[in-house]
Amino acid sequence: MTSKQRFLAAINRETPDRLPVTAHHVLPYFLETQMNGISYQEFFDYFGLDPINWVVAYKPDPSRGEYFDPEQGELGFLEPPRICSDNWRIKTEEIQDPKYKTVRFNFETPKNNLSMVLQSDKHTTWVTERLIKDKADIDIIAEFFTVPLCDVEEVNKQAEAFGEKGMIRGFIPGFDVYGQPGCWQDAAVLYGIEQLILETFHDPQWVHTLLKILEKRKKAYVSSMEGAKFDIVEHGGGDASSTVISPKIFDEFVAPYDVELIELAHKAGQRIVYHTCGGMMPLLEKIADMNPDAAETFTPPAMGGDADLKEAKKRIGDRLCIIGGFDQFHYFKDCTPEDTRQEVRRCFEEAGDGGGYILAPSDHFFNAEIKLLRAYAEEARKCEY
Amino acid sequence: MQDILQRIAVCIERGKASLKSLYPPDMKGQEGVAELTEKALKKGISAQEVLNKGLIFGMHSIGEKFSRGDVFIPDLLIAAQAMNAAMELLRPRFESGEIHHKGTFIIGTVSGDLHDIGKNIVKIVMEGAGWEVIDLGTDTSTESFIKAIKNSPGALVGMSALLTTTMLNMEKSVRDIHVKYPYIKVIIGGAPITENFRKDIGADLYFPDPNKLVEYLKAGN
Repeated sequence: MTSKQRFLAAINRETPDRLPVTAHHVLPYFLETQMNGISYQEFFDYFGLDPINWVVAYKPDPSRGEYFDPEQGELGFLEPPRICSDNWRIKTEEIQDPKYKTVRFNFETPKNNLSMVLQSDKHTTWVTERLIKDKADIDIIAEFFTVPLCDVEEVNKQAEAFGEKGMIRGFIPGFDVYGQPGCWQDAAVLYGIEQLILETFHDPQWVHTLLKILEKRKKAYVSSMEGAKFDIVEHGGGDASSTVISPKIFDEFVAPYDVELIELAHKAGQRIVYHTCGGMMPLLEKIADMNPDAAETFTPPAMGGDADLKEAKKRIGDRLCIIGGFDQFHYFKDCTPEDTRQEVRRCFEEAGDGGGYILAPSDHFFNAEIKLLRAYAEEARKCEY
Repeated sequence: MQDILQRIAVCIERGKASLKSLYPPDMKGQEGVAELTEKALKKGISAQEVLNKGLIFGMHSIGEKFSRGDVFIPDLLIAAQAMNAAMELLRPRFESGEIHHKGTFIIGTVSGDLHDIGKNIVKIVMEGAGWEVIDLGTDTSTESFIKAIKNSPGALVGMSALLTTTMLNMEKSVRDIHVKYPYIKVIIGGAPITENFRKDIGADLYFPDPNKLVEYLKAGN
């Protein structure tokens, strides 16, 4: 089988020739500091992993008076192009900070202006000032937000060039700056997760209104994906995990919105992987009930999650493909290659039975030892069906 | 007397801060922690008893449920908000010395790490157990920890990290704190932290769950 066929067999819960083995995200920091700056695709080839090609292809809708943000600089890792209009202009401003690169994003509208601040270091980027500071700010977002559409032609061009080499992966777009695929996850970025949780108790209607606004924008994109040759599209996010929220909040504020997007994606001929980095076990059936084609990341307890792969396979393995479960904190560093091989075997034995499983680290990693990555890939390739 | 303290504990556990609180819906229109605390004090119940048998009891109960996986972080957050409503009323009595905290706990997310939900949960559970918590926030430098210890020399220190990259910064902070204050206990926690890592960096204690820390301290350690 080619890597692409292998991935697709697993996603369709069929039995591939061997265990598909990949890496979720390979961070630029890792490639630059530990792999002599090799490219994203060279990384997969170097270790003999089944490759993923992330494709981010947006286009504006000129009929809405929207256009690419002329002020956006070079795009970062997985950073989408921003879409602006005369009523939604995004101006960036560097703020002097002795420790971190700090950027303020000002959203200029005919009514109030909004702003948020991001900081970044060599590893990652984070939000230090939330966009929604006042509840009424969401009215501004609702009135003036722009809508990215899927550039189907560009996706297909990249898919054709990639051929059988591996999987073409996309994601449901988040908000313009630091956006995330799931509606709840996007809202958490814009308002702050603790604040958002407390509002579910005090002002649930406001939370629903915010989620509907964010969902509307995502729906426009998902509908435009018809014909795009993605192999899988990411949805969800870790703030909807059971290590952050309760099953009750998931039922009331997460599932109703995210399930509509999954249905719409299926209508557009797309497959969805629901991403939950964090606790999943109390939510397994709830995730499967939303009918995604796959679920990830199955973070193990030793990494702060709660995944029991064997139990997960038993409970939902007949309903979706399982992706992840490998403990990259402890088996990509400071252990022997034999330990890494055993961790690969554990994952395969617990979740690999009959196919429907893709081995991957439970989300990204910053540091890894080359010999352990090699052991990971080699051992997985020996896991034949 | 027992009745009102029990009602305070139930309100904490259910997250009912005050009469005005709309949550939980089945307690709408009922008195919350704020009103019941005021009422208890007016009845002559000592502030220390309100604290121990009402507020701490309620937080302990929800904390135990959290440890067992019966409730989740949102339940702790809303309970903590209810507890804060009472703590505002009790604050002058702490300041006057009428009531006392069990001790002081300094907490911060380690240098370079911006994640705070785990740290905040530990803070909630420790405050709920009757400790004064000095929250240094995220991205806390070693110097900030040392400055806080200087101001509260008998405190315990808690340090959290979520990332494998930032957990390595704990080593320097722990070492520098121990050089300056060898008697200070430094407790570490966070998703990537293990007991082996604690031993490697010379921290004093590691707990995978904040309630286990509280149990450890309750046992008189």
